[in-house]
Amino acid sequence: MNIQNNPSLMDQLAASYALGTLRGGARRRFETLARDNATLRAAALVWQSRLSSVAELQPQEAPSPVVWKRIENLIKADKEARAMQAARAVPSAMGWWSSLGLWRGGAAAGAIATLAAVVVGLNVNGRLSGQVSELTAKLTATPEIEYVAVLTDDKASASLLVTFDPKNKTLALKRVGNFREQPDKSLELWALPPGVAPKSLGVMSADPVVRLTAAGTDMRQVPTLAITLEPKGGVPPGSGPTGPILFKGALIETPK
Amino acid sequence: MFFMKPESPDRQLIALIERVAQADESALRELYELTSSKLYGVAIRVVSNREWAEDVLQEAFFNIWRIAGDYKATLSPPMAWMALVVRSRGLDFLRRRASDRADLMQELDDVISDTVAGDSANPMDTTQASEQAWALHQCLGRLEHKQREVVSLAYLRDLSHGELAEQLKLPLGTVKTWIRRGLEQLRGCMARFA
Repeated sequence: MNIQNNPSLMDQLAASYALGTLRGGARRRFETLARDNATLRAAALVWQSRLSSVAELQPQEAPSPVVWKRIENLIKADKEARAMQAARAVPSAMGWWSSLGLWRGGAAAGAIATLAAVVVGLNVNGRLSGQVSELTAKLTATPEIEYVAVLTDDKASASLLVTFDPKNKTLALKRVGNFREQPDKSLELWALPPGVAPKSLGVMSADPVVRLTAAGTDMRQVPTLAITLEPKGGVPPGSGPTGPILFKGALIETPK
Repeated sequence: MFFMKPESPDRQLIALIERVAQADESALRELYELTSSKLYGVAIRVVSNREWAEDVLQEAFFNIWRIAGDYKATLSPPMAWMALVVRSRGLDFLRRRASDRADLMQELDDVISDTVAGDSANPMDTTQASEQAWALHQCLGRLEHKQREVVSLAYLRDLSHGELAEQLKLPLGTVKTWIRRGLEQLRGCMARFA
């Protein structure tokens, strides 16, 4: 059975996958298919997002006050353990790094350089420098933050998968629905920052995957992206959208 | 994928989670005060026993303390994310107790027969509810009680069709049909909120 030709089945499978009722071999086959199929990935993302709120909807009940006491004790013990590591005379490299909060991820290159210099200054024996270079390597390999958006139509069907690679400064737009604009029209992508005019991010060609250059500043502070239907070639630079919004979606920050 | 109004409860929770990520103990306490009743409710639904649910709630908050820094990277509204932590700790708890099968199955039977057999309304405390949860609540409310319960249980307890049929003492075909219809209706309804 060629699943690509059956969008309704694809969506049902994505829903079962997100719900958790797709099991064993079927689950693995879905994951294999989804790896190469952007439509499936997009559908699974949409369903996962919808179902995540099921957990929020259960009836409430107040727990006994002793539960907070126990949590408080656990937190205190955890804080003490970390403080003790940081306070040792010759701190282990792990103690330094964790007390400085660097394991939270996303450390700036400047901070790493500064700390590497500090630790080198404290290097009192050869063993420490081995640990330092290992840790510096780990810290410089922090994950790239990417932005991703799934743009859907008014029936919540996914039509476009958008990813932004800040390293190469490109936006990749992948068509995942069946929509094809007419030959005399173009699809134009807009960033919708709050309170200001929409900013065009470019016009899509007819290819299934389109790459546009974009600056990181374009993507920050933008909660929503939208696609409008415009005359062929898009609107003149500097002017706003003239056609209807066909697809829109929220922009999410995520590590790779 | 969720939309936030400026003064929404979501923003308040997100700000608190951010502070917890900076090891701010008072922020965790505030988070607990705002969300513990909801999250205790989730824990009870996952493990079906109030005493166990207390342990799970405690483990969940300690987990939240440790991983608050990871929240920003997820696609969830804050309450949904915390509830997922509770669900994961709850499922871990059940797995650890799997050797104690006898009393585990008894507890599950009691709670399940209460939920599915009953004809309870679809109440929702709107405090601390995310926009998406509100939409989902509206849509779930349109499902028949049985369909709603079966979909919720499948998700919260990470159960397969077969496991659900066994626990609810229902034919496998019935469970599959209810879930399929439930998901179809959800899809159509949520589309209107998109």
